[in-house]
Amino acid sequence: MIRTDLPAKVSGETLFGMDLGEPGMLWGALVLSPVAHGRLRGLGFAEARAMPGVEAVVGPEETDRLLAGHTGDPERPVFPRDVVAYRGQPLAAVAARTLAQARAAARAVRCEIDPLPIVPDIESVFPEWPGSGAGEHPSVIAHVRAAHGDLEAEFRAAEFVQSETYRTNGVAQVALEPHACLARVEAGRWLVRTSTQSPFSAREDISSILGVAEESVVVEGTWVGGGFGGKAGASVEPYALLLAASTGRPVKLALNYAEEFLIGRSTLPSVVHLESAVRGGRVTGRRARLLLDTGASLPGRDFATGYAIGFLLGPYRVDAFEVEGYAVRTNKPPFGPHRAPFAPQCAFMADSHMDGVARRLGVDPVAFRLVHAWAPGDRTPLGQVVGPFGMIECLQKAGALLATWRKEIPYGGGFGLGVGCGFWSTNAQAGGEAVVRLTPTELVIEQGEREIGSGSVVRGLPAVLERVLHVPAEVVRVSYSDTASAPFDSGVFGSRTVAGLGGAVEKAARGLSAELARRLGSTGVAHLSVDGGGLFATATGSRRPVEELLTPQEIGAGGLRVAGKHYGATGAIDDARVSAGSFYAYTDFTAAAHLALVHVDRETGAVKVLRYAAFHDAGVVIDPPTFRAQVEGGVVMGLGSSLTEETLWSPEGRLLNPSLLDYRIPTLGEVPPIEVHAVPGHLGAGPFGAKGLGEPPIIPVPAAVANAVADATGVRVYEMPLSAERVARALKLLPEGGEER
Amino acid sequence: MGFTLVAPERPEEACEILASAAPGQVAVLAGGTDLLLDLDSGRSHPDRVLSLRRLPWRSLQWNGPTLTIGSTLPLSEIEVDPVVRARIPGLWDAIHGVGSLQLRHRATLGGNLGRASPTSDLIPMLLALDASVEIVGVQGIRSVPVDEFVLASRSTALRVGELIASISIPEARPSAYVWQRVRPSNDISQVGVAVARASRAPFWRVALGGVTPRPVRLPEAERELRAERPLTPEVVRAAEAAATHAPFATDKRATETYRRQLVGVLVRRAIAMVSAPLDRPVGWA
Repeated sequence: MIRTDLPAKVSGETLFGMDLGEPGMLWGALVLSPVAHGRLRGLGFAEARAMPGVEAVVGPEETDRLLAGHTGDPERPVFPRDVVAYRGQPLAAVAARTLAQARAAARAVRCEIDPLPIVPDIESVFPEWPGSGAGEHPSVIAHVRAAHGDLEAEFRAAEFVQSETYRTNGVAQVALEPHACLARVEAGRWLVRTSTQSPFSAREDISSILGVAEESVVVEGTWVGGGFGGKAGASVEPYALLLAASTGRPVKLALNYAEEFLIGRSTLPSVVHLESAVRGGRVTGRRARLLLDTGASLPGRDFATGYAIGFLLGPYRVDAFEVEGYAVRTNKPPFGPHRAPFAPQCAFMADSHMDGVARRLGVDPVAFRLVHAWAPGDRTPLGQVVGPFGMIECLQKAGALLATWRKEIPYGGGFGLGVGCGFWSTNAQAGGEAVVRLTPTELVIEQGEREIGSGSVVRGLPAVLERVLHVPAEVVRVSYSDTASAPFDSGVFGSRTVAGLGGAVEKAARGLSAELARRLGSTGVAHLSVDGGGLFATATGSRRPVEELLTPQEIGAGGLRVAGKHYGATGAIDDARVSAGSFYAYTDFTAAAHLALVHVDRETGAVKVLRYAAFHDAGVVIDPPTFRAQVEGGVVMGLGSSLTEETLWSPEGRLLNPSLLDYRIPTLGEVPPIEVHAVPGHLGAGPFGAKGLGEPPIIPVPAAVANAVADATGVRVYEMPLSAERVARALKLLPEGGEER
Repeated sequence: MGFTLVAPERPEEACEILASAAPGQVAVLAGGTDLLLDLDSGRSHPDRVLSLRRLPWRSLQWNGPTLTIGSTLPLSEIEVDPVVRARIPGLWDAIHGVGSLQLRHRATLGGNLGRASPTSDLIPMLLALDASVEIVGVQGIRSVPVDEFVLASRSTALRVGELIASISIPEARPSAYVWQRVRPSNDISQVGVAVARASRAPFWRVALGGVTPRPVRLPEAERELRAERPLTPEVVRAAEAAATHAPFATDKRATETYRRQLVGVLVRRAIAMVSAPLDRPVGWA
């Protein structure tokens, strides 16, 4: 059993954040704003305070008293004082003896809010593209623009121009465990056990929001029932800590599922215009315009627009381009990172567009993309040099398999094949530190993360150590602790765990290897082996039990500790091409091409994915079973956002489907057979040449499915998800006009 | 949600408990797959929950042409009955499509009728089979056609002190239930179409789910289908009549426009499945 976390998870013994509890604990509940935009006149707590079991009701004034002497980030008050910016915004919090009492009291809090006109969506701000001068518009919180080459000349010289408008809808992470934590405040220390992807950034956030010193905050991660980006940073912890400070007792605060959908920080809709100048069988010029709904995100806090916009151009060479985007502030909850934030949407648009241009030219869509695909050494449109990158090989393999599958399906009949490409950048510059501790019988990895389900911590880190020291998995253990005692790490996000924290483990392991070699009288490296329950170290002909190599002091201190740090480098973009906002350089280019076989019911528009194959340039695969599981999981999640998952919002800013009944993730019934292939040959910056794989598997999925649908029907669907109703509309099965969904 | 669970063994006892309680005081638990959501969310907060599990109603009996299904028999037990599947394929279709297998181990036909959800996949099929509901109560026993039993969304003809004992289907009929959902598995149908062919004229029954406030028969479509084995033009007219007359509305699952497109297609397919049972598609929809 290599995934040592699984038996306890399967048997139900694992304690997730949701399962936390302790004697004397109170339950917390949040008072959520009932309107999407309004001026807060006051909150009435009297009724709630008089309810049975209620121990505390905390609003803005109580927060001031509890945090007297502390100054938190004024842009991120715990509770709003003046303007409510979205429905579901926490306005106050309640602690009571039971969960039912806490929730009843939260409902009894009177919210006096004068409604203000709301901005429900992008179209209500910008019905059309506003041009380059809208950066100062009050609804714009970020404006990015980059260009290179003579785009107008390319458009003038084009044989034709392909011009398309795409739309995407909101998707939620749907971690099965909602946000949950248990907080206590003791002797000026703010202690919280929480389900988080990043204990250290949660600590930083808590410190910044509450205005308390970082050293006084201790975050202990629990086992995490899924994160997918929604559990990075702090969320419910500051509220729970305030309730604990107010009552002097431990307080558990857990969102219910409707709240999780509403304020779990999901991804929001976009409108994108793509335009290509085509000449000589190539796209020579490309214009991309992005309007991204960032909800009630704060100005300057939008990361998505500048990060995502590079993905709109795809992994393709182009002579001249211009990308421009606006982050549009609406009265929805703030935009959040959903696995590979906004990249699957961008890949859907960019690769649908490329597929469409190829079909218009009458050339094979895969061959057409091969003409444009980045090779190592090329420059991205933003001027960054592409490092080791297997896009071409992934595309070639997907194209070859497509040709095989093509022979196996009936011609026509509603079947179709499509390829989607995606690329990603491992966030390997986010730093991490780890300690490897050697005892006479085992190796322990001391580090600051918790396993979030992918296996990157519980399996990825040991796999690195095993490779360096040649030890079997049985003698390697991962230890977990809190932010007060664990080495620093940035978090389990950005596909960086193996590449970043694994890099720290690799360095620690190599340090240990060198130290053992030295103690064996060698200047080279040492390996470990297991014999009769004990560990032995070997270096250039010398072999001794580890027990004999450790000093009594080291054995007394729990073993020999060697630390490793990994702070990776990032590439650089050409700043001369940027005229507004921030763009991001990529690190460790990672490629994937996916192939989907679909059937489209040409009378109802229903799409069924029948077979699927994924080709990934992941550098050196550190642990094949985990690689496979990670790709399969990403594909399944991507199939959901391709076909059935979307958040529906009313014009009043209400989320209409905050439940697993009406927000539909795939079940096993919707999952086709999935082939998973590693495409070797391009080393990453991670240990042994590994590249990150947390996010890449979801990126090409909507593009592959959409292109397969286009292949099956001859019709392009310009909006994701490709619900049956949207496909039916594209197939002109429904009367023109009328309401759309 | 504090309540007392009571599980009487005799129907009279169960009816007495219901009859002597104030409205809302007692909730009836058959499979619980719907009720538990209400209890959990606080939409329903009874003092007592009356469990039907000990009552002698977990039965499935053929009496000549008539099939009687006890109200508390789990759906999964109907689903695995080979005779039901062979003789009333539409009932199998409808049951097989409900939720997941885990859910069908708990859910019951009686519970589905008693909760009278407007999105039920089973009620349209029961309508097309001319099923009736056998009711026991403190006043005695009576039988009500399903069409008269389901009054509106969440509203039935049950009176105070009454429970559903069984559901009777008068004859085995060639039949089909086809549906479309946003997600095929474990979802609520955007449109469900039940079609059955009776042994005597008028032969055809067409019933619809996915309409509010309750599933309905569609006489406009049925009238177009005169022959026992209708030819294509008749089928097309029936499908068009269904698309024109179905009382559809827009909700978060589908627009009215799309439902009208779907119903025409599904009516045509369901009739085809009933007319040519050997050609039934397998594993689709």
